[in-house]
Amino acid sequence: MLQKKVCMLGSFAVGKTSLVRRFVETIFSEQYHTSIGVKVDKKEVRAEGRDVTLVLWDIHGEDAFQKVQISYLRGMSGYLLVADGTRQQTLEDALALANHVAEMMEKIPAVLVLNKCDLAAQWEIEPDREARLAADGWSVFRSSAKTGESVEQAFSQLTLAMLRK
Amino acid sequence: MPEEAQRRAPIPPTPESQPEDKQALEELRHLIVAPEQEGLHEIRERLDSKERRAEDISSVVAEAIQMRREQDGDHALAEALAPTIQETLRESVRKDPQVLADALFPVMGPAIRKSISESLRSMLESFNEALEHSLSLRGIQWRIEAFRTSKPFAEVVLMHSLLYRVEQVFLIHRETGLVLSHVVAPSIATQDPDMVAGMLSAIQQFARDSFNSAGQETLGSMNFEALEIWVEASPDAVLAAVIRGHAPLDYKLAMKEALENIQQNFSSALANFSGETGPFRAAGDRLHQLLEARFKEKLGGKGRPRAAIIAGAVALAIVVGWVGYSSYLLWEWSRFLNALRLQPGIIVISGRKSGGRFRVQGFRDPLAPDPEKLLSEAGFDPKKAYLELMPFYSVDDVIVLRRAKELLRPPAGVRLSQKNGELRAEGVAAPKWIAQFQERAPWIAGVNSIDVSHLQNSDHVEFNRLKGVLESAVLVFPLGRTELEPGQEAALAQYENDFQGLLVQAGHLGGTITVEIIGHTDSTGVEAANLPLSRQRADQIFKVLRRAGVKPTNLRPRGVAASEPLRTEDTEAGCRYNRSVTFKVAFSPAPPVH
Repeated sequence: MLQKKVCMLGSFAVGKTSLVRRFVETIFSEQYHTSIGVKVDKKEVRAEGRDVTLVLWDIHGEDAFQKVQISYLRGMSGYLLVADGTRQQTLEDALALANHVAEMMEKIPAVLVLNKCDLAAQWEIEPDREARLAADGWSVFRSSAKTGESVEQAFSQLTLAMLRK
Repeated sequence: MPEEAQRRAPIPPTPESQPEDKQALEELRHLIVAPEQEGLHEIRERLDSKERRAEDISSVVAEAIQMRREQDGDHALAEALAPTIQETLRESVRKDPQVLADALFPVMGPAIRKSISESLRSMLESFNEALEHSLSLRGIQWRIEAFRTSKPFAEVVLMHSLLYRVEQVFLIHRETGLVLSHVVAPSIATQDPDMVAGMLSAIQQFARDSFNSAGQETLGSMNFEALEIWVEASPDAVLAAVIRGHAPLDYKLAMKEALENIQQNFSSALANFSGETGPFRAAGDRLHQLLEARFKEKLGGKGRPRAAIIAGAVALAIVVGWVGYSSYLLWEWSRFLNALRLQPGIIVISGRKSGGRFRVQGFRDPLAPDPEKLLSEAGFDPKKAYLELMPFYSVDDVIVLRRAKELLRPPAGVRLSQKNGELRAEGVAAPKWIAQFQERAPWIAGVNSIDVSHLQNSDHVEFNRLKGVLESAVLVFPLGRTELEPGQEAALAQYENDFQGLLVQAGHLGGTITVEIIGHTDSTGVEAANLPLSRQRADQIFKVLRRAGVKPTNLRPRGVAASEPLRTEDTEAGCRYNRSVTFKVAFSPAPPVH
C-alpha cells in the first residue's frame, strides 16, 4: 500500500477547501483551520495500476506565509498550488510560495490549480501567462469548485508526477 | 568461441623449419599476446602490492560503505563495524577522555535534562493522582477498602488506577505523518487512521511551533475526557497509543521499548520511506502486544456483590453480636445482683443500669466480702460499675460470728458458733480466756446471750486427770509385812511426781488438797493384828512421801484392815490386791484472805 503526503497551498480564500470538499474523505471540521492552521483529509487515487492514498494537508492560507505553516510541509511528496483565477495577486502569491518551498526543500512534484474558472467574466489570468507557466514546467489546471471540473485530473497528474519522481 | 580459439592456438612447429619458424612464432606470439600479458602483469602487480591495493580500495571505500548500508537489511555492516568502533572509542577514552567528552558535551545536557524532567513528571503524576483520590468519595471508599484489607492506601489507589484499555496504537512516520501501521482493539469504532495520524502529526508540529521548540521534542500525551493519547517518538517514527482510563506508567516504558525495537528493526525502511507501507506490516505484531486492557467493570462486577454480601454479613453479625452481648451482660448482671443479695453483711436496695453503667445502692458490713472482688469474679469491670454501699453493722449470724472471732481470738481448743443471737463457746480454755469471754462477748454487736456450758477450764481438767491417776494407784505388800513388794518403789516414785503436780493444780484452782493414805490387809489373820498392820503400811508410804517433800498437812494416813477390800478374795491375786495402800484425794478451797 502506497501513501503520500500532499499539501494544498495557496492564499486565503482561493477556494482550496471548497475545491476538494466533494472529492475527499474528511472527518474533521473546518474549524481546525482556524485553530491549528491545518486540516488533514484523505483521497484515494489510482495511478499506473496502483492504489495510492493521498493524505491531504489542507493548510490554512495566509497572505504572509508564516513559519507555523512551513513546518506542516515537512515530509510532503507533492503539493497542489491553488490560486484564484479571478484575482491575479493570488497567483503571484502562490508562485512566491512555490519559490519559497523550492528554496527550503529539494524539488517536489506540484500542480497549479487556477480556481473559480466558472467566473469567466472576471478571469484575470492572461492565456499566455498560463502558457509560460506550462513552459516553466507547471502542470496547470483550470478548475471550479462549483462544477468540479479538472479536480480529479489535477490529483491524478500530481500522483503520477510523484510516482515517477 | 571456437573461431577465436583456433585463431589463438599456436601453429605446431615442423622439424625442418625449426630455427626460423621459432623466431617467427615468437614474434607472432608477442604481437598477439603481449598487450594481454602486460595487462595481466600489471594486475598481478597490483594484487601483490599492499600499497596499491590499499590505494585502490581507499578510492571506493566510502561509496562501498554507503551502498552496503542502503542495501543492508540484516545489519551485517553495523555488526561488523561495531567491535572496531567500540574498541576505537575505548582506546580514545584511554588515551585522552577529554576528546570524547568534548564531542559528547552538546548532547549530554539535553539527554540528562530530558531524563530528569521525565522522572519528575512521572513522580508528579502519581502524586497528583494520590492527592486527587484521597479527597474524593471514591477515595473514602478506597480508604475503607485499605482499612478492611489492611493494604497501604497507595496500593489500593494504584490498583484502581490501573484499570484501563488501550484502544488503538499508531505507528507513524515522523517526517510525513503517514501511518505505517495501525492496530485496533476488538469492537472499537475508529476514525480513518490516515487522517487521524496526519492530524496527530499536525498537532505535534503545531505544539512545537507554538512553543518555539526547535528540537525534536514531542507532545508526551494528550487528554480528552476519559481518553488519553500517549506519544513516544524515535528519530524516524512516532508511536501513539489511544488509552481509555488511566494506564500505569509502566506502559510508557513498554511503548518506549516497542518503539526502540521498531526503530532498530526497520531503521533502513524508515530512513528510506517513500510512502510504501508494505515493509511495516511486520511491525503490526509488535503493536498488537501494546493493546492491553484491564476492565474496571469486570473487577467491579465481581467484586461489588461479594463485598456487599460480606459487608451485610459483617453488619448483621455485629448487630446480632451486640444484641446478644447486651442481653448476656444484663443476664450476668442480674445473676450478680442475686448473688450479692445472698451475701451475708450486704444489703442491696437497688441495682440498675444507668448511663451505660451498672449502679448498685445499699449497705455493707466491713466484714462482708469485698464487692469489687465479687464484681471481678462475675466478669465485670469494676471501673464500669458504681457501687454505692454505706457501712453498717450486720446482725447476720455469720457476720456476728466473724466479728466475735475477730474480737475474742479464741484459742486452738475452743470452737465458737452463733445461732439466733446466742454465741456459744465449746472446748477447753485457760481460765483467763474464759473470764475474758464471759466479760466481753455480751458486748459484741449482734450477741444477745452466751453459752459456756460446753467450755471447760483447762486447770480443772488437769487436776481431775492427776486425781484419777492417784486414786487408781494400788501399792501392794507381801503377806503380813509393812515393806512394799519388790519393784513397787519405782511406781511410788512416779506417784510422788503426780502428788507434786496435783498440789500445783490445786493452787491454780485457788485451794488445797488433802490426800488420805489408806492401808489395807486381806482377811486372813485376826482383826486385832490386821488393823495395826494396815496402819503401819499407810505410815510406811507416808514416810516415803514426806521424804519426797510432800507437806504432812496434806497427808492423812489411816488403816482400815480388811474393812474396805479392793477385790474379792476368791483368788490369790485378789488377796494380793487387798494387802495394799491406796489414795483418796479431797479438794478444799482456801479460806478467803482478809
